Amino acid sequence: MKQHTTRMTLTIDNKTVTADTGASILDVARQNGIDIPTLCWHEQLSPHGGCRMCIVEVEGLSHFPTACTTPAADGMIVRTHTAQIREMRAEILQLFLSEHTASCLVCDEQEECREYMSTVRKAGVTTGCRYCPKDGQCELQAVTESLGVRDIIYPIYYRGIPVETEDPFYDRDYNLCILCGRCVRMCQEVRLADVLAYKHRGRDAIIGPAFARTHLEAGCEFCGACVSVCPTGTLREKARAWEGAPDREEITTCTFCGVGCQVRLLVKEDRIIGSLPADDPTVNQGQLCVKGRFCNTELVNGHQRIRHPYRRENDIAWDVSWDAAFELIAEKLRSSAPERTGMLVSSNLTNEDLYVAQKFMRVVMKTHHIDSTARLFYGSGFSAYLTLMDRAVPLSAIRDASAVLMVGLDTRFSRSVVGVAIRTAMKRGIRMFTLHSREHTFSLNADVWLQPEVGEEYRYVEALVRLAAGEDVTDRSIPADMRVRLADVARALSESDSPVILVGAEFLQYDSSRAFLAAVAQLADHVGAGVLTLPAQNNLYGSLLSGSFPELLPGMRPTADAARLQKLESLWGTSLTGLTDAWNADHLLRDDCAMQFLYAVGALPPVHRGAAKFTVFQNMYPPEPYCSADLVLPTAAATETDGSFLNGERRVQRVRRAVAPPGIALPDWDILCRLARHMGAEGFAFTRPEEIREEMAQVIPGFGEAEIDARGILPLAFDAVMHVSGNGTAQRPPDSDHPFILHSSVVEHTHRGFPLAAWVEGSRILFPEGVLDISAEDARALGLRDGDSVHVSGASFEEIYPVRIVRQQPRGALHASILESALTHPNPQPVSVRKADV
Amino acid sequence: MSEDIYQDVFSSFRGEEGELISILLRVQERIGYISEEAVMRISRFLRLSENQVYGVASFFSRFRFDAPGKTSIKVCMGTACHVHGGSLLADAVGWDLGITYGQATPDRRFDFQRANCLGCCTLAPVVEINEQIQSRVLVTKLKETMNRREEF
Ligand code: SF4
Ligand code: SF4
Ligand code: SF4
Ligand code: FES
Ligand code: FES
Repeated sequence: MKQHTTRMTLTIDNKTVTADTGASILDVARQNGIDIPTLCWHEQLSPHGGCRMCIVEVEGLSHFPTACTTPAADGMIVRTHTAQIREMRAEILQLFLSEHTASCLVCDEQEECREYMSTVRKAGVTTGCRYCPKDGQCELQAVTESLGVRDIIYPIYYRGIPVETEDPFYDRDYNLCILCGRCVRMCQEVRLADVLAYKHRGRDAIIGPAFARTHLEAGCEFCGACVSVCPTGTLREKARAWEGAPDREEITTCTFCGVGCQVRLLVKEDRIIGSLPADDPTVNQGQLCVKGRFCNTELVNGHQRIRHPYRRENDIAWDVSWDAAFELIAEKLRSSAPERTGMLVSSNLTNEDLYVAQKFMRVVMKTHHIDSTARLFYGSGFSAYLTLMDRAVPLSAIRDASAVLMVGLDTRFSRSVVGVAIRTAMKRGIRMFTLHSREHTFSLNADVWLQPEVGEEYRYVEALVRLAAGEDVTDRSIPADMRVRLADVARALSESDSPVILVGAEFLQYDSSRAFLAAVAQLADHVGAGVLTLPAQNNLYGSLLSGSFPELLPGMRPTADAARLQKLESLWGTSLTGLTDAWNADHLLRDDCAMQFLYAVGALPPVHRGAAKFTVFQNMYPPEPYCSADLVLPTAAATETDGSFLNGERRVQRVRRAVAPPGIALPDWDILCRLARHMGAEGFAFTRPEEIREEMAQVIPGFGEAEIDARGILPLAFDAVMHVSGNGTAQRPPDSDHPFILHSSVVEHTHRGFPLAAWVEGSRILFPEGVLDISAEDARALGLRDGDSVHVSGASFEEIYPVRIVRQQPRGALHASILESALTHPNPQPVSVRKADV
Repeated sequence: MSEDIYQDVFSSFRGEEGELISILLRVQERIGYISEEAVMRISRFLRLSENQVYGVASFFSRFRFDAPGKTSIKVCMGTACHVHGGSLLADAVGWDLGITYGQATPDRRFDFQRANCLGCCTLAPVVEINEQIQSRVLVTKLKETMNRREEF
């Protein structure tokens, strides 16, 4: 911050004003309540000076400078609204309008039309503002009105460009584009994604990616930042196009990953119509990824949301009341033994939901049998991952880092706000390295791309550890040129003051993931790096801290911690001795797991029916037909409840209720409290999440209301021992029978157990599940086309997948994104592939 | 093979953003147009996105993005040729080949361009076919020539 800034004095429209040096004429005018019309200027972007709406008269200058690009100067005399300037602006505007297919803007019958739609005949002739999604919120419309333009003296030239609708989430009608360049500057300057550029020239000028590529092909992240700044109806959200202006907004925390972006929900008539980034300086800095920006609206509004509790038996379903549902659960619970009762929760629930859930199991059911599905996601690397999470540094560390290493992270569709932070840091000149076996967002612009063969990633990290410790790497399995790159990276990391290592989800389901994560921890030790894991489950920290694991009590203390048990006993007024803790979510994947009662809160129970005698399924969407669920309970989405999340930095952040849940759905904590009360249990009289937090604060520091508002980082240390399942099957190289290497990763784009692709249309295109990626060369050799079915078989595995041909897939390597329950080992494994007969 | 062309071109540059236009010119000299592969290779060399490279290239009418046809037909539309009916010739060629100037026929046999004065105005109107100037061209004469396209 500057100690003192020099002030200057100037005259605008006969008013003497003062301002800091460096401000533009436009800034100074606006600071003093003088309005100058603008179109290409936007507060988040650099001034462009393209639309010339903001021209002003400056005494002593023979031309009319644009106020947005001209710095104000001491003693300047500026006039912003002379008759001449007004006329020139009106004329420039008419030039815009002569190409803009919305003659309604200047139509004589505008007012009548708005009310009675009298001028219907225009519908077939032009797009017309009544047919533009921006009607009423359009900046061009506002400027036209304020300049009083009612006629176009220039010949009309409409371009007749077909509307681009093939990309997910937003459409583009360039007939309405005024070439203000805001979208281009947003994409190039702020997002640094460089998808949009000006193309061609003169009359043919248009905005878009190279050639006639779609945004998907051109590497777009679908962050929607360009859509948000477009002043016209050119860029339009598919889902929000015809919603009009929102009634109100609500700030909450995104529920789709551990970054925990702050989101502005747009609400209209008690319905979420959109979500935009909140202007938040702490976490996302006004940015979002495709999930926070576009997926949320569709997910919470799906017409298939469950509205009523219902019972399922022999493929017949019927609605029941909450009371009947509670009575049924109570009856089943009374007859099941604690050691054969379990609750499965998702780490997407709020801290308050999770706390009540574990309290319910421990106090009412007298068992530690509560587990998060996160355990299944991390598999054998679970403990190693949690240990790594412990080193989490704040996101701001990226801004201060002098070198960054990304391992297995692709920021295109997930955590893309972190990608933006890294690219911004790269502009500043930091060194940036990426370790990934496949091409990804950073493979082209990283300083060094370490590209191991699929399955060899951990060797590379181990090599970095040895190099950082000053040893040589002689591992012949690493090609010579990669050894040079490794040495370069190790040196740069060691020499850097504050390096940061970012861990993505790409290798987490490998059999080698434990070795991989341990090597990352060692590397961080050697080079003094901070680690950012940013888990795929947005509230993984919250589920650890609330004690939603059989090994953990609230406050992240081990179940064996006698002092903590005692404290909880007095807090909860019940005995906690002798509780069973022999079960966890891994058991669900075994066929012999004979539970009497399974309660799935926001999680998907296992595919096979025999998993439990009675299963309660509590979620936003109905279970798949093959899913075991005897009683289905409707829950509120995160936009329909108050609460808090703990992001990957361990920051407590608020979740706010913006709308009411559908039907008679209730928040998870509320359902569990009512059930406990129905069963006559004490200590579940909570009526609001604040009351739950009050109790949590007694065992978990940091949950006071003021502390949550401060959004501070909780000091946490993880020292429990978690059970991990793992068959560290050694990886076999491809052989002549199995010439391909198949690498499977579990879809990380999930919410409450469902892949987003199940309920959000656009995400089916961006991150499909159960699809096999294959390189173009391999596909050609096998005679495959996009979408063909292939039969993939390994030593102990057989599956049929549709294929997707991916330019960046290495030859001989296959990649599948699958659901947790479909993960098989070894991973990666050698397989053979043939076209499936249809 | 094509690998060499790019490496060859790039070898005389430092890889800075400001060199983009010169590189584009050199690439077009070598392969006749700016192909998708060219855009991709240049983008990697300069560390710009393909979208930016294409955006800059498409601003200049000089760069073309499809492979030129084998036989090049250039109709002059300069002042002298224009008053002598150059645009009629251009229309004739366009009708005959089913394309407009700046394009090549889908079979890549013909390439149709317009020129702004080929420097021999006394012979107007002129058409240049494969670097050979045809003088005082009449539509009928041109049609005849076009009808014997096997010769090209
Ligand atoms: S959605 Fe984001 S990445 Fe895609 S074009 Fe717009 S600003 Fe660029
Ligand atoms: S698409 Fe919108 S933001 Fe982009 S140039 Fe056109 S009007 Fe401006
Ligand atoms: S980066 Fe994560 S928290 Fe941010 S919008 Fe995307 S999913 Fe939500
Ligand atoms: S706002 Fe100043 S030129 Fe567009
Ligand atoms: S005008 Fe055609 S050659 Fe000069």
